[in-house]
Formats: sequence, structure tokens, C-alpha cells
Amino acid sequence: MTTAVQQKVGGTQSLMMGTQLLIKRWVCGVFIGALALAVTPSFKSSAQRAGEARTIKPALRRITETQYRRAIADIFGPGIKINARFEPEKREEGLLAIGNAELSLTSSGFEQYFALAISISDQALGEKQRATSVPCKPANPNHADDVCARQFIETYGERLFRRPLTASETLARLKTASTGAERSGDFYAGLELALTSLLVAPEFLFRVETAELDPANKGQYRLDGYTKATRVSFLLWDSAPDQELLAAARNGAIHTEAGLKQQLNRMISSPRFENGVRAFFTDMLQLDGFENLVKDPAIYPKFNQTVSDSAKEQTLKTIIDLLVRKNRDYRDLFTSNETFINRPLAAIYRIPFASNNEWASYTFPQSSGRSGILTQVSFLSLFAHPGISSPTRRGIKVLEIFLGEPTPEPPANVDFSKVQDSSKGTVRGRLLDHMNNKGCAGCHRRTDPPGLALEHFDGLGELRTTENGVRIDVSAEFDGVKFEGAQGLGKLLRDDPRVPASLVRNVYAYGVGRKTEERDEAFLSDQTRAFASNGYRLPALMAQITSSPEFFRVVVPSGVQRASSTPAARSAPHKKNKGGFR
Amino acid sequence: MSLPINRRSFLHGMLHGAAVCVGLPFLDRFLNSNGTAFADGAKLPVRFGAYFWGLGLTDTPTGGTRWVPRKTGHDYEIMPELESLKPVKDKVSVFSGFRAIGDGRPNLVHWSGHASILSGVAPATTGRFDGPSFDTRIADAIGTSTRFKVIDIDASMSRQPVSYSTRTGNTFATPETTPLALYTRLFGAGFQDPNSDDWKPDPSIMLRQSVLSAVKDQRQALMAGVGKADQIKLDQYFTSLRDMENQLAIQLQKPEKCAACAPPAAPKETQRSASVDAVRANTRAMARLLAMGLACNQTRVFNFVHTSGTSETYIAGQSKIYHQITHDEPIDAKLGYQPETSKLASLVMEALGDFLVELDAIKEGEGTVLDNSLIMAFSDTGYAKIHSIENIPMFLAGRAGGRHKAGQHIHSTGEPVTRVSLTAMQLVGAPVGEFGSGAMKTARPITEVIA
Repeated sequence: MTTAVQQKVGGTQSLMMGTQLLIKRWVCGVFIGALALAVTPSFKSSAQRAGEARTIKPALRRITETQYRRAIADIFGPGIKINARFEPEKREEGLLAIGNAELSLTSSGFEQYFALAISISDQALGEKQRATSVPCKPANPNHADDVCARQFIETYGERLFRRPLTASETLARLKTASTGAERSGDFYAGLELALTSLLVAPEFLFRVETAELDPANKGQYRLDGYTKATRVSFLLWDSAPDQELLAAARNGAIHTEAGLKQQLNRMISSPRFENGVRAFFTDMLQLDGFENLVKDPAIYPKFNQTVSDSAKEQTLKTIIDLLVRKNRDYRDLFTSNETFINRPLAAIYRIPFASNNEWASYTFPQSSGRSGILTQVSFLSLFAHPGISSPTRRGIKVLEIFLGEPTPEPPANVDFSKVQDSSKGTVRGRLLDHMNNKGCAGCHRRTDPPGLALEHFDGLGELRTTENGVRIDVSAEFDGVKFEGAQGLGKLLRDDPRVPASLVRNVYAYGVGRKTEERDEAFLSDQTRAFASNGYRLPALMAQITSSPEFFRVVVPSGVQRASSTPAARSAPHKKNKGGFR
Repeated sequence: MSLPINRRSFLHGMLHGAAVCVGLPFLDRFLNSNGTAFADGAKLPVRFGAYFWGLGLTDTPTGGTRWVPRKTGHDYEIMPELESLKPVKDKVSVFSGFRAIGDGRPNLVHWSGHASILSGVAPATTGRFDGPSFDTRIADAIGTSTRFKVIDIDASMSRQPVSYSTRTGNTFATPETTPLALYTRLFGAGFQDPNSDDWKPDPSIMLRQSVLSAVKDQRQALMAGVGKADQIKLDQYFTSLRDMENQLAIQLQKPEKCAACAPPAAPKETQRSASVDAVRANTRAMARLLAMGLACNQTRVFNFVHTSGTSETYIAGQSKIYHQITHDEPIDAKLGYQPETSKLASLVMEALGDFLVELDAIKEGEGTVLDNSLIMAFSDTGYAKIHSIENIPMFLAGRAGGRHKAGQHIHSTGEPVTRVSLTAMQLVGAPVGEFGSGAMKTARPITEVIA
């Protein structure tokens, strides 16, 4: 970079000279700093050094947008504005929590996080904020102050990285803070740079799970206390561990049955448990689809962004009320019509709205034909087309989301050339005409029936019993059982044992961030039985899963060099595998 | 020449006063006496763009083709679905008959086709590529001297942002999805007007470099004990960090003046709609911003998605989405093709026409931005009704600074699509000798279109 600048000097000498000197001086400063870093002896004790060689990192996954936002709000207060476009997430086996485990950060994603980090640091250390956010005062605000800077970096570093910083991590930021302070003549500007560097670090943006050698089981690994704390906290509160949970990690209480249970009880009884439940169901029900949902305004003029947001909120409020506050049976979600509405939704449900509050509780009567969350605007509008309903789409999602049975992609060799256009008046009629095609019927006979039962609700979720003048038939058959309409479907799901089993699998997979395998089956069956004997109550399910040893099982990934106890292994540099495609 | 010359006057003088916008790191060499190439014969850097639209064009087994011209070479006739390309016909080459070859892997619907074009191999799983998309190789070769190595754009208003650009096959790029977002990225905070007379290096940018250094320092400690798959993720993270460092380094250099650069005004926020008209308008607005972004040298590489592979776009007021129509609509016995589907294909091609016209509207050097660019436009399928990955429509638009002998129709009888991809890479000067795997492996670019 220096060379390029020097080459440019020819043209506009005077303008460039200042820049050149500035850059030269700065480069020299950094060089000296780097030199200092290289000769500084390691602060680590030999015990710490040995411990680090005995650790592995079984998993790395990017935090989600809500987790990012919540972490910032928890650590710096809710007043920090976050205006950014987050990298898209990926769904795998029905959950973003699994898909995200495969994601990294692209260049534009990094750019966004970098800009965000600068903005957050600027806000958090602004003149008004710094009194609360900085735990100490510098000796001279126009100069570096390593003592105060260290306190700041260690405090926030631990909250952001979800574990204490290593000596090297702290030192790197101290250098940044002091160089920045001296360069700009402002202690707080230096702190801003240090904080930016914490906010953009992979240790913050990714959940780096660490496992250490288990003192109780020779040669085996166990997740370290901070990793356990992070798993528990993200599942139950969708946020980074708070001070109390970090303390339980620090003093080892989290490794004991009693210590862990104490934390779990505290967290599940807290109002913050609702955040965890919301985040879980937003993922499982694929409510992130609302971010970009569009409908054809010519066909569904009532649809707009407010309706979109309200529909999502209605479903989440229903779930929190039923499963957390009232601690009812999970299966009631498919049959209970107790819910909440606001004014925009009332227009779509075509019911009166008489409250002065934004939201009012409401119970749909039996005659409405509605049945739980399957007939809320959220499910109905998400899984439909921009201008029409889609029994196939809804059916696929019922199977995927509630029964845990995904549908494979259609094979390329399906012979669409034989498909004739249908003249039937209803969506059902046209769909069934197509099912005469043998190549199509195989899958559609399985996927369409749940959707066909929901045909009294159009692509937006509005009730209609006729279509183009033809009465809509909502009878269907699924797994040999005949049923009718949404209420028939609701009852079917309520009685199907796959439904609670699928929830158990989802909670576990979401919590550990990976796909379930055959060896998990015995554990999942046990958990499902326990779920049933606990009356299918969600808080109890979360407590029982998080208190099982399986929740913290270490899966050693391929390509990891397992630690050995020989000194050679301890000091050998880690060889970087040139990853690639098999 | 005996006059004392510096690089800048040499460049301006040689091009007859009309400045071409080039970034500094390329001015290591001097130009030839025509000002159209470097003295050592290498061409001036061009821009590269990948433009994707979903659901192919109409060409049915019953012989009803609406896009494959009968004639090959320069005299190809404009077919009904290619009407929109008329204004730029002599700058566009048409490639027909090329196919994606699965090599035993199943045809993953609305996926294998363009995955093959971009990564050179039919992927094993939908939603993933089994190799990087080749735009990343071009970006690495020609994209490091501009503020952004690459800009990704998605005009489709889809349920999820759509991008087919990937380095790992797992993580795809994050596109800008609205004109306002694209404007903000290109011309918002951080934009340095190249024609500004009072440019000064921003000291805060230098300080930000130290932020990144502190993060990089931890790389070795972080990598210790990490599994293979996670190493790939971390590698990508640090690659992205380096791109940011490069961006900062470039922002500390005084930008070369670009006569063609005229920073636009911020566009208004628009109502979200996925109708064909709305997506077309979105495409045109973003094309205009992109063209000016290229002229202002903010990037040299871009990826543009017009509609996704399973396009849910629709004609306003009609309940069926384009994707469903391609499958449901029967072939008209008299016409030999699906009329509704063809109408939609034409509408989609109008957007490509708009796109190219916007790039052609900005004068630059002796020609236009389009003359100094190469855009590969392609789809996911040939005949969409049966998910065919034969005869996938592909176009190369733009003269690539003179390297592309544009305006020809090249017809193949079943050769792999990778030949076109390889041709595109070579036309923009990426050092690539072969591309693709298995039956799609090729070292033969289409020399008829290479000058």
C-alpha cells in the first residue's frame, strides 16, 4: 500500500505529501506496535497453555439476526439502533438452526457487520452513553489509558464472546485502543475501535463451541462450561448467557446436576423464556417467510406489510399464551380457537374489533370452521401463492412442520407434457384432475389431502365456501383415515403420535444445532414418552431435554486433531487442512 | 516520446480526451498508441456480469421454437422472444443447443441447469453447488482494484433473497434487493466521488484497518482444534475480512477521474410487488444504478438475478404464477408451443433488453459501458415444462472492450454449457484454461466469438 501511494506522488505533489507523511507515520507506528507484540512474553500460565492444547472446537455456527439484536440490546441497552441488512439464513431439515450451522460470512455480509460494529460502538460510547457504558474513567481523556481500557475490554469481551477473553485476545484490543487513542487524541475513540474489533470478531459472530478433556471420563471430551451456558441460554432465552449463568460456568456449577437444574429452573420461570419460545417457533413454523411475502394486490387488496407483521405476531402470541402462560397441552394448538387479533387482522377474519388496545383476545366459534394455528392467517398466507391458495403447498408444510416428514423434490422426469389444462371451477377440482396422471399421483396423494381440507380459506386466509360459484368440497383422506375440513385436520394432528415426536426432535435439533441421527433415536423416544407423561407441556419438555446429558453430547468433527498428553503435541502448530471439495 | 509524462496525462491524451475509468493498480503499464490496450498488448480491463432469469425460453419437442434463430453467424434473425434485444443486436451473441450434463447425477429441478453453468458440475443436492461459481474466479482476477470486489443484485422480489454466487457451495452471496438498497451500497456512506477536486484520505479509515488487524491476529488460535468443515467456514470469514481490508486500502487512494461518472439521486422506496411489471421496473431501476456504479468504478464484477429458477412472478390480476403456467399449460396444437408461457418469456426478455439498454446508455471512452463489459445472461432450463436442461438459452452481451466478436448466433448440438462459461471467463481476461468436471470438462472456448 505504501508503494502505491508513493507512486502517486508525481501528479499533485503538495496534496499527496501530507497524505504520504501521515501514512508513513502511521505505518511506522503499526510496525513498532507489531514488533512490541512479537516480543511480549505470553501471559498464559503453563497450566492454561496445556489446557488449550487439550481442547477442541466441535462446532461453529453463525448467530442469527434476532440473536445478534438481542445480544446488543442485553449488553448495551435497548436504545442502540441497528439498521442493517443481515445475511440470509438457510433452512435444513425444517430448521434455520440446522442450516445456519453450515453458513459462513460473505464479503458483503462482512461489510454489513463491520458497518454495524462501527455504528454500535459509536452509539455505545457516545458522550451521553459513556457514563453508563464505561466502568472506569481514564487518567487523561486525551490519551490512552491501558488500565481503564483493559477493564472495559475484559468486561464487554466476556459478554460478547460469551466467555472470558484470552490474554492474547485482550492484548490485541488493548493495542488497538491505545494506538487509536494516541492517533486521535481521544481515549474514547480508542475504546470505540477496540469495541468494533470485538463486535466484528468471529468469536462474537459465530458460536464457537469448545470441548475440553472430561476429568470424570478419561480420554473423553465434555463441552466446557461456557459452551454449555451458551447452548442453554440460546435455547431458553434466545440470547447470550447473562451474568448469573456465566458465573455458574466460571465456578463449574453448570457441570453439576444440581447447579445446572438451578439455572434451568431460573431461566424457564423467567419472563425471558418467552423470547426463547418465540424464537423456536418462528424457526419451526418458518415464520421468517413473512420478511419477503408478497401477494397480488389485485387479488388480495387487504394484504400489506402491517397484515404480514400482525399475522406473525398473532401466531406467536397464541403460542406463548397457550403453551407458556397457561402451560397447556401442546396438541391444543391444533384445536383451540383461543387467540388474539388486532384491527388489520379483524378485517381479514371479518370479525368485529371493539377494543381500545392494540390487541384483544378472541375465541373463534365452532361455526367459523377454524381450528387452531392451521387456520390462522400466518399459516394460510405463507403457504399459498401470491394470488391463489395452494393445497399442495399447505399439505407439504403440514407434513414437514408438524409430522417431521419432508417431501422430496419432484423428479425431473415427471411427464408434464401430458398435463392438460383443467376447466374445473375450484382449485381442488383442477388439482384432482392433474392427479389422474400416474407420475404425479404418487406424491400428491400423500401431500395434498391436508391442504385440501383447508380449502375453505383462500390464499390470504379469508373464509370462502364457494369458488367461482362452485361449492368447495373439503373432504380428504390421509393414511387411510377420512376427515373433513380444518377441524377434521386439527383433530387428526392432535391424535397423531408423530406430532409430539416431531416437536421433541425439533427442540433437540434446534438446541444442539445439528441434524439428528440414528443414534439419537432411543434418546428421542424416551424424551417423547416423558413429554407425553408430562401432559405434553412445553416448559417441562425444555427442562427435561436441557437437563439430559445428551443435550451436551460432544460430536468430534472430522479433521480435528485430538489432543494428546505429550509435550510435543502441546506445542506442535496446528496444520491447516486445505479444505475443498471431495 | 521525449516529453515528461505521468500516467494520468498519458491516459487522457491517448484516448482523445475521453477518459476511461480505470483503477490505479492497473496503471503499472503504459498504453499503446491507440489507447485501446496496454503497451504489452493486454486489453484494458473490462467488467463482467452474470445475469440470470428463471424458466428458460420456449423451444418445444414439437418443433415450436420461439427463440432459436434458424441462421447461425452474424446474420441471425431476431426471433419472437428475442425482440427486446433488437436495439443491441450487434452487441449480443446467442448460444443455442448447449446443455448441462449430469454424469449420472439426477436433474435437480430448477437447480442443476444453472448450477452447471456457474460451477461446472451438476450438484449432488439441491440448494448447494459442488464447487465455487465462476464469477468468484473472475472477481478474484479483475475485481481487487475497485471498492467492491463484486456487487450482487436480486430484482426478483422473491420470498427469499436469491443469489447463485458462492465460494464454498454452501454460503451464497447477500444481494441488494431494492433500488434504494443498491443506491445506498454504491453511492451512500463511503462513496468517494472520483471526480471530486477536494479528495482527502479519511484518517478514520486507517484506524479501521487496525480493527481488522486485531481480529486477524487471532486467526491461528481460532483455527486450533477446529474440524474440516468449520475450517472452510473460517477460511471464508477471513477471505471476507481481507476483501474488507482491500476495500479500505482502495478508499485510502485518490480515485482516478471518471468522465462518465455522474452520481445519481437516491431513488424512492417502492411498494413490494412480484408481478411481472413490478419486477421489470425494479430490474430497470437497478440496472440504471448498476450502470452508473460501473461507470464510477465502484465495482467491476456483478451478479444480477432477474427472477429465480422457480419464478413466482405473475401477471397482475391473474392467479397463476409463471412457474405453474409452464407446467400446466398444454401445447397449442396449431402453434406447437404454449402461448401463455411464451408471452411470459417475452416479458421476461423485455427486462433483459431494458438491462442492456441501460448499460449501453452511458458513454465511456470510444463507446459505452456495455462496449466495455461482458454480460453472460442465462437461465436454469431449456423447455421449462419438462425441466429440460437441454438447449439452455445463453447470451453473451457487450463487446468486452473489443475482445468479443459480438452479434453472432452459435448453435451447438449438445455440447456442455461450460464451453460458454469458459468463453466468458477468457473474454474478460481471467486466467482460466479449462473449466468443469466430468463430461462437462472443457478446455475449448468458442473461438468464433473471441477476437
